Parts: sequence; C-alpha cells; structure tokens
Amino acid sequence: MEALLAFLTVFTQPELLLLVGLGTFAGVYVGAIPGLSVTMAVSILISFTFSWDVYPAISLMIGIYMGGVYGGSRTAILLNIPGAPSAIATALDGYPMAKRGEAGTAIGVTTVMSFLGGFLGIGVLALAAPLVSDFALKFQPRDYMLLAILGILLVGSLSSGSLLKGIFAGALGIAVGAVGRDPLTFTERFTFDIQVMEGGISFIAVMIGMFGVSEALLQLHHVGQPAIRQKISRIVPSLATVKKHLPLSLQTSSIGVIIGALPGTGGDIAALMAYDHAKRVTKDPEREFGDGAMEGLVAPETANNAAVGGAFIPMMTLGIPGDAVTAIMIGALFIHGLNPGPMLMIDQPDMFWFIVGALVMANIFMLIFGLTGIKLFTKIVEMPRAVLIPLIMLLSIVGAYAVNNSINDVYWMLGFGFFGYFMRHYGYPLGPVILGVILSRLLDENWRRAIISEREDLGRFFEGIVTSPLSLVLFIAVILIFVSQTPLWGWAKARVLGKQKVAQK
Amino acid sequence: MSTSHSDHHDGSSDATPGGYENQRRPGELIFGAFLFVASLVLLFSAYGISGFDALSAPGTVPMATTLVMAITALIIVIRTVRLPLVTSERISVDILPGVVVLFGVLLVAYGFLLRPLGFLPTSALFLIIAIKFLTRRSWAYTLVVSLGSLFAIWLIFRIVFTVLMPAGVVPEAEIIQLFRDFARVGAE
Repeated sequence: MEALLAFLTVFTQPELLLLVGLGTFAGVYVGAIPGLSVTMAVSILISFTFSWDVYPAISLMIGIYMGGVYGGSRTAILLNIPGAPSAIATALDGYPMAKRGEAGTAIGVTTVMSFLGGFLGIGVLALAAPLVSDFALKFQPRDYMLLAILGILLVGSLSSGSLLKGIFAGALGIAVGAVGRDPLTFTERFTFDIQVMEGGISFIAVMIGMFGVSEALLQLHHVGQPAIRQKISRIVPSLATVKKHLPLSLQTSSIGVIIGALPGTGGDIAALMAYDHAKRVTKDPEREFGDGAMEGLVAPETANNAAVGGAFIPMMTLGIPGDAVTAIMIGALFIHGLNPGPMLMIDQPDMFWFIVGALVMANIFMLIFGLTGIKLFTKIVEMPRAVLIPLIMLLSIVGAYAVNNSINDVYWMLGFGFFGYFMRHYGYPLGPVILGVILSRLLDENWRRAIISEREDLGRFFEGIVTSPLSLVLFIAVILIFVSQTPLWGWAKARVLGKQKVAQK
Repeated sequence: MSTSHSDHHDGSSDATPGGYENQRRPGELIFGAFLFVASLVLLFSAYGISGFDALSAPGTVPMATTLVMAITALIIVIRTVRLPLVTSERISVDILPGVVVLFGVLLVAYGFLLRPLGFLPTSALFLIIAIKFLTRRSWAYTLVVSLGSLFAIWLIFRIVFTVLMPAGVVPEAEIIQLFRDFARVGAE
C-alpha cells in the first residue's frame, strides 16, 4: 500500500508532474539536437538542482533521461545525424525511410516503439529490483568489489572499440576518484602536496568536462553542416503496423533491459545489439536492412528505451550505475544525502517507487510530445551549431562553478574537457572514466573490508571467492572479459560487429 | 551515409568510440606515450602513499589501478606503433584545427576572468567573440543572439535555479533588489 502511494506521488503532485513533463519535453529536444547529449544535460543539471529537494530534482532528471533517449531518433531519421549516441543504429534505416518521403511514418513508429520499450523496461525494473535488492543483502564486500570491476570492464568489452583502452579509462577513473585524503585513514593520495588537491576532484567537474566541453569541442568540426529540411506527413502509425512488429519489439525490449541492467552498459550498446538481432531474426523483410526496413527502426528504438528501466536496476539495488546517465543520477542522490544500494530499498522504499512512478509518467509524456509538436520541433532543431556550441560551453562553466562555488572546479572541468576531447579522437571510451570515478570509493572500501576480514591473507581471500557461488560467478565473468582479448574471441566478435560496419556503409 | 560522421566514428558514443581500428591517427602515438608516462608518474606517486605496507593500506588500490594503467598504456603504445598512419589526415586539420585551439584559449581566458570581471561581462565577451567567429554574421545579429541568450540563461539560472555566480564589477544583487522593489510598489 505504501509502495502504491509512493508510486502515485508524482501523479498527485502537480509540481512534480510539471517537472517530469518539462524534463521530458526538454529531453526530447536535448536528445534531438546534435551536440547536446542526455549525459551532458543531466550532468550540467545536477549542479543546478543540488539546492532543490530531492523529489523535484529527480523528477526533472528522469524526464530528461527518458525524453533524451527517445529524442535522438528524430535527427537520426531526418538528418542522418544521431542526436544521441543511443540513436546511432536508428539512423541506419530511419534516414533511408525519410529519403523515400516516409519521415512521418518513421517518426510515428519510433515514438510508439520507444513507448512500448520504455514500459517494458520500467515493468522489469518494478518487478526485479525488489528481488535483486533482497538478494544483494547477501553480498559480501568482495562481491561489491568484483561487481564494480565487472561494470567498468563491461563498457569496454561490449563496445566496438579496443577493450584495452576501456580498461585504461576505467583504471584512470578509479585513480581520479582516489585523489585527495583517504576517507578511512586520512592519508593523502595523489595530492602531490598541493593543498587544493586534498579535497579531491569533484566528480561533477570531471563529468561536465568529459561530456560537456569535450563534446562541444568535437562539434566545432561540424559547424558548417547545413540542416536539411524534410517534409513530414502522417505520424500516428496504424494499429496493424504496431501489431506486426510486436513480437520483434518484445524480443528487442528484452535485449534492451538486459544490456541496460548490466552494470556500465547503456542504451547505445543495447540499440546496436538489438539492431544486429533484428537483422538475424527477420527472415524476409519488406525492404533490405539499411534501405529503410521498418524492423531496423523498431529494434534499436525499443531496446534503447527499455534500457532506461534496466539501467535503474543495478543503480537502485546495488549502487552500481547501469550506464553513464545513471552514474550521474547516483551522484545526484549522493548530493541529496541518499546512498543508493540495497539499504536504500529497505530504508526508503518510497524513493524507489517514486522513481518508478516518475519513469512511467515520463514515458507517457514522451508518447504525447513525440506525436505532437512536429512543426515547433523542426524549428528548434535547426538552431545553428555556431550558436549552440558557445552556449553549451558557457553552461558547462556555470555548472562546474555552481556546485562548490569554486573556480578550481572550473579548471578541473576544462582540463578534463580537453583531455576527453583527445580521448574521443583516439578511441578511448569516456563511460568507464565516469564509472571509475563514481565507483572508486565503493571499490576501495570494499576491497579493504574484504581483505581485513580475511586477516590480510590473499590466499584466504581467493578461497572465499572460490567457495561462494556468487563471488565465483562474478570472478569468472571478470576473467572471461580478459579472455575476450585473445584472438579466438576477436574473430567471433569481428563476425558480429563486422556485419554492422558493412550495413553502415 | 554521406557526412563525415559515418566515415569514422567521431567518438560521441561509447558503443562506437572514435579512432580507427587498424590505422593510427596523427598524434595518437604521442597521446599514448603521454598516457604511459603519466601512468608511471602516478604509479610512483601511488607507491609513495603507503608502499607495500599492508594489503588493506590506503595505497593498495591506487597502486593496483595505476599499475593497470601503466601496463595497458604500454600495450596500447606498442600496438599503435605497429599500425600504419592514416595518410589522409593531418593534426592541424582533423585533430586540432585552429578553431579548437582558439576555443581552448577562450575557455581558459574565461576561467581567468570569471572572478575579477564577474559572470555577466565575462560571459557576454565570450559569447560575442565565439558567436561572431563561428557564424560570421553581422555585428547586429551577433549582439542580439549572444546578449539575448545570455539574458535567458541568467534569468533561468539566477532566478529559477538560484545559482550564484561571481558578480564581479556588475552590482547584480542591487539590480535584482531594485526590480523587486519596483514589483512591490507596482503590486501595492
């Protein structure tokens, strides 16, 4: 009963309802405008909402998250430029459809399918999270440590880049998170005897730099690209179309939830995997994939929105983020004095049900905004990048400054922005850095707890791992990811991802 | 796909990071070498925290992570050396074009000026220079767009989010108070 009341909080309070709606609306545009990403928007927003109450702040961020994951599809279809990373796969068939003059149909199908996927993800979250958190109470410190390592490794291994670079990025994040005085013994770490480093590096500065400034700098390469106008016809898809793709959408939603729920991997990876799945299971598509196949739209769009609900599962139950945006949400909860993890679910279950309610509301708003307001949309999206980029930079600076009123945070933010810019150019993923920073403390503390409880004996530590089924599974998973760097695995992976590359060309 | 987006991933997503799989971009080797050296420095610094005191010492995890950084960076450098250089790209065009350098300088200058000059004048300067340079439109357009959006941003963040930025030379609080007084008089 209390859970139901908490779930309904957002529906009964006009202020929260308005914020979710506003967030979703803004999210659709943030997602759609190339150069503005959800991760960027949420990380900048944290710094502006940290003086708010926790409910309104979370409402706004959830709206932006849900809307943003969907909004990326718009520009992918209309301009062949994915507005958000999770829409990369959407462009493969969405743009060919638009070129045939079916932009309206494509947008309509995308919207309805995102809605379906979103609901499935939220449903799984509502059902699975309480179970997972019960289970999580049995977790030993070493399990948390292994899970954190697994999460950081997963980002690198499931993306198409080099795992080595992913591991490097994750380790760098952990090191950055360790800067400052150690919370247990007060020893200085990586401070180089500089006083301002004693307090550590604000993770919000790292986040805004990596996802805000570095992205904006990268967008400077594309300033001159002209916007292409598309005529948009009928939007609301027919029931027959929806029915026809229902089986596929259920499959790809499931992929989305699972990939989303894996620590560290989010909508962008889910969408690419779902696209690949659709190509394999669709026996005779009306059109070839890459040529405007409806299935090529359904798969990534259901998956990336389903991944939203999935990503909240490890975040709410274990305190380990499912993707970059939930990593930032964890930061937001920290700031508001909440500590995500199994205890949060037990101490404050209303927080969890409130989030589920807000997600449902955001999903409904997404459907409404998705099927209306196309005219306004095309106007806003044509906002020139030449104006947009300086504004993003300005917002990043304001955001970094606002959290601690510290000019040092601005310098850190800029430093990580420039660094992230080069990382992007040379194929180093940024997600693991953020995960590393967020998980650094969890990893460090749990390692020390685990090894102290084993009386500083590495042998006993490994014996503990081998004799506990859960630890053993996690440990094997970590090892498997390392094995995945051997040539055999590379060959298998090349077969899967190689097909995608062909389709992209 | 027709745009430069698809020819190589530009790194806007972790699912498809930037760079090439089988070729070396200009500057990639230098970046890798820099990361390797930086990792070694950090490793040395991590050793200095508590040495090999105990497995639960504050320096253990930092040492482990920096060791991982150093090893992966070294392997990355070795692998990068073997790759052929991309012939069609140059640092000054594809990696670090003048416009990126210019914005780097502008951003750092912004950071330096923020405290002494205050948020509004610094931001106005930054936006005017940046938008004029990027759009290459008339001064009237530049001024309207940059000052207009600055006003919108200020309104949203100062009033709605109540974010306090350094006031610097502009007596911001007094101006807001003035408007409040006006509003009160109007209401009465």
